[in-house]
Amino acid sequence: MDFDPTPFNASEAWISWLRLVGVLSLCAIGLSFILAVARNGSRGVTIFAEGLKGFLSDLTSLNPRRIFALASLTFKDAVRRKALLVFVVFIALLMFAGWFISDSTGRPELQVKKHIALVLTSIAWLTLPVVIYLSCWVIPEDIGLRSMHTVVTKPVRRIEIVVGRILGFSSVATLVLGLMGLIGYGWILRQVPAEVQSHLTCRVPVFGQLYFIDPAGQPSRTGINVGDPWMFRSFVQGNSRARAVWVFRNMTPETVGDELTLESRFEAFRTVKGSESSIKSGMEAQYVLVKNPREEAFGGLAIGATFRDFADALREGQFNNAAERANELAEKIRTSPREIPEQDYGGLFFGSGAANQVLDALATQDAGKPGAESISALSGKFLKLSETVSALSKAQESAGNAPFLSVADDLASIAETLSADAELLRERLPRLEVPLPTFNVAEFHAGDNVSKIPRRIQFTADYETLSRFLSSRVEALNAEGKLVSGDALSAELESSLEQGGPMSPENARLLATVLNEQLSAGELVIADGKLSPSQNRRWLTFFDTLVQKEMLVSQDIEGWKLELDLFNDLTTMNNLRVEVACVNDQMYLGMARPDLFVRLPDRSFRVGYFKSILTLCLMMLLVVVIGVTASCVVKGPVSVFLTLTIFILGQFFHGMMDRISGGKEAGLGLVESATLIFQHRNPNAGMDASESTQNFVRSLDSVSNGLVKGANSIVPDFGIFQSSATYVENGFDVPFDSAVLPSIAAFLAFLIPCILLAGACLKFRELEAK
Amino acid sequence: MANEPVIEIRNLSKIYRDFWGRKKVQAVKSLNLEVYRGEVFGLLGPNGSGKTTTMKMLLGLLFPTSGEMKILGKPASDVSKNEKIGYLPEESYLYRFLNADETLDFYGRLFNMSAADRNRRADELIEMVGLTKARRRQLKEYSKGMTRRIGLAQALINDPELVLLDEPTSGLDPIGTREMKDLILKLKASGKTVVMCSHQLGDVQDVCDRIAVLFQGELKVLGRVDELLEIRDEMQIRTGSLSEEAQAEIRKVLDKHNVKNASIQRPRADLEELFLRTVRESGERPGRRFTTEEIAAGADKASGK
Repeated sequence: MDFDPTPFNASEAWISWLRLVGVLSLCAIGLSFILAVARNGSRGVTIFAEGLKGFLSDLTSLNPRRIFALASLTFKDAVRRKALLVFVVFIALLMFAGWFISDSTGRPELQVKKHIALVLTSIAWLTLPVVIYLSCWVIPEDIGLRSMHTVVTKPVRRIEIVVGRILGFSSVATLVLGLMGLIGYGWILRQVPAEVQSHLTCRVPVFGQLYFIDPAGQPSRTGINVGDPWMFRSFVQGNSRARAVWVFRNMTPETVGDELTLESRFEAFRTVKGSESSIKSGMEAQYVLVKNPREEAFGGLAIGATFRDFADALREGQFNNAAERANELAEKIRTSPREIPEQDYGGLFFGSGAANQVLDALATQDAGKPGAESISALSGKFLKLSETVSALSKAQESAGNAPFLSVADDLASIAETLSADAELLRERLPRLEVPLPTFNVAEFHAGDNVSKIPRRIQFTADYETLSRFLSSRVEALNAEGKLVSGDALSAELESSLEQGGPMSPENARLLATVLNEQLSAGELVIADGKLSPSQNRRWLTFFDTLVQKEMLVSQDIEGWKLELDLFNDLTTMNNLRVEVACVNDQMYLGMARPDLFVRLPDRSFRVGYFKSILTLCLMMLLVVVIGVTASCVVKGPVSVFLTLTIFILGQFFHGMMDRISGGKEAGLGLVESATLIFQHRNPNAGMDASESTQNFVRSLDSVSNGLVKGANSIVPDFGIFQSSATYVENGFDVPFDSAVLPSIAAFLAFLIPCILLAGACLKFRELEAK
Repeated sequence: MANEPVIEIRNLSKIYRDFWGRKKVQAVKSLNLEVYRGEVFGLLGPNGSGKTTTMKMLLGLLFPTSGEMKILGKPASDVSKNEKIGYLPEESYLYRFLNADETLDFYGRLFNMSAADRNRRADELIEMVGLTKARRRQLKEYSKGMTRRIGLAQALINDPELVLLDEPTSGLDPIGTREMKDLILKLKASGKTVVMCSHQLGDVQDVCDRIAVLFQGELKVLGRVDELLEIRDEMQIRTGSLSEEAQAEIRKVLDKHNVKNASIQRPRADLEELFLRTVRESGERPGRRFTTEEIAAGADKASGK
């Protein structure tokens, strides 16, 4: 998986399209007006107005019967020109291709990939010349042979000729691609060896958001760079706190099913050679399923070093400690606010905003439950803190320390809530960690790692999870009245504890014994037939203390085995957090966002394959649209050249133009680079020229960059259409929102302005000019 | 209704320019012309005189540099005027991969005709132009005469009020030419207006009511054919069959004998003569337009009187 799909933002694209087409249309109208006036003097205004009115009237009087007549004429013309001969070439290619690409020794997914790639690439590159020839040549030939005269002297709007021609060529291209697609599909099914046919499938991935936790436990956007100049993957250090953290959205039984499939492809990097067997088996990695709303809420606060202790206390669930840190920070801000670096205030702004959002969502989700109000109150206070910090940057110097005092007050107010509701907050903001069995990551890649995780997961609990489990079990029994019998604990307590869930007899006995001891010691009290911790402590706090004191060390050899529901217990607002750790010391695991995904139930290969044929078809139709438009402006050979140039630019250089226009391409401008080559100087040294000359050269470069930016805006990115093929070749379903939808949008985005442009060019063109 | 103009041309000029907008040639100079409903109008002129340019401006294939044109009461740039116009181009510009049926069906669709109307009209026209046996053959297999006929059929698919014919008899054999001329007269008889460009002066003379002769973009002659070709200071007598005696004495006794079926009129020059004379004198006296009297005087001179 060497791609990183991002969903297509249709509304943003729509707005940017409207803006660009609007500006270009206004430019075209303005230019036409100037030309009309320049050539015809005062009459030009009338000529322009009549022309514009006629063009708009043409747009509103398009006739489907005329358009269909022109489309069917075009279709017959294309067939007469033997466009369908391309099938012969395609079939001949497929007849002999099997000789060269069959290799049963290769990895199964690579064998499948070769077959699919051959078919899809052949279809694209065989159809392209046919489509360019037809679309670019027919209208100029029609004008040259004057067949067009017999059409335009009928009541045909010239824009109808454009639309009819586009429709005709499009139907030819669709027919050719559809038939080739069907033949190719049959060929793949026949040609792919039987033993790897199971790889002819469409995996449906759900990609998550990735960030890292460094060895010190702090969140970070990237991991460690192991020296690879290509920074696609970031690495986590083995046997440390470093993790790669993926957060997957919308993980529900309805979308995922009863079994979670995680598929990964990580890169192994070792700093020691190790034994031969370890090289063969690879490194060990481990998934840890984590429910950690504290991390999600307070992780952002750790960005600013000043506030990191405060953030760490919150993330650890030590809210009393966090309250103390907050008060210290408030005091520091009151006394010397400007000693705190500006970027730390920026981090505080971001972190408090994120805290507000997460806490707010949790409060809404847990509404009515104990502690929800505390979370809601804390959320409100973080929102206020965020707003106050935001106002800092706008505050005038003359305002002195007053704005900072507001920040301090907000922090103190947060400290107050944290201190008052520490127990409740800790109860509502758990951290659950479910480590899964380790797996090997081969250094010499042998395919993707697929882990299937059942919905009910049994695991050995850590301290915090154990405290939560025991407190919830004891609270439930207490509510049912099974804990207490008279003034003492129930004699049936041990069996009650054992019956309720995954608790071994040894551990049930231990818990019953400890509860009896605590009752005797006065740490527990019985009132109104109910057992409760003394001093109004919460059960979670009570068990936290016992676990910390190691009074509940399991008597069972397997430890405290617990069972959780993947979706009910381990997701926060349907978000699933998967952390990946490298187990081996002195080893590193490299990961990028697409390297781990949740695999939903597979779809049929047929579906993905024909989706990619659809996007290829859209690409060909776009070439048709551009070819027809070009042929309405210039003659056939020039039109072919123009269309081919646009295709090559859009296919191979769009990314480069993107980088240049976005300022991300390393290197200097065109003229400046040329000057440096001429002067035999490097870019760091700069030009050997006066300041004014340098400024002049740079202004020239800004013009050339502007031209590249302009070209980038109006040249379609043909790579969009071929991304679908990449998905299918790699065994993935073609996602609608990040591959099919952008293709449809790109096609429509160019179709409409191209039809208008071609229609206008043909309408205002003299077909008989000498 | 008789003098209702179907085509009105006012001060029409056309200048061809090069890529840079520089003037290359002025093809039409301040042309004023009217064509009336129901007449057959001939547009004559040597090569490069501007008659084809004028026709193409009428059809909207070229845009005038200045001046106004109205066809059937609408500006030439208005596409909707084409609903009532039929156009037969000079050469066969039809789609050669279609057969006659497909050709007429295609052009019928362009007029938004229903399938039933298209089929009915195609049958009528194919019958009329005599291509019934060849209706399923592709046009690339047609002879030149057959191509002209299918061209004419497509021009008439919409039953037009105004028919523009560019060299209608070009490439036709004598029988085909005769049939074409008969057809033009038939169109006239059915109330259609016909405008034709032609180099076949005999054909024009046979079918046109009025003609205009253009030379180097200027209108040189405009009038009715019978008036333009009249020789005024001569008379000719055309009779039925006469006896030998009568023929011998005809000069003496014409005043005394009351001969039936005798017609007495001025002799006519032929159109070829008029055309050549106009072209020659236009070369000698550029920028001048000739009146009917001058034309007649010229005819006298040519006849040696």
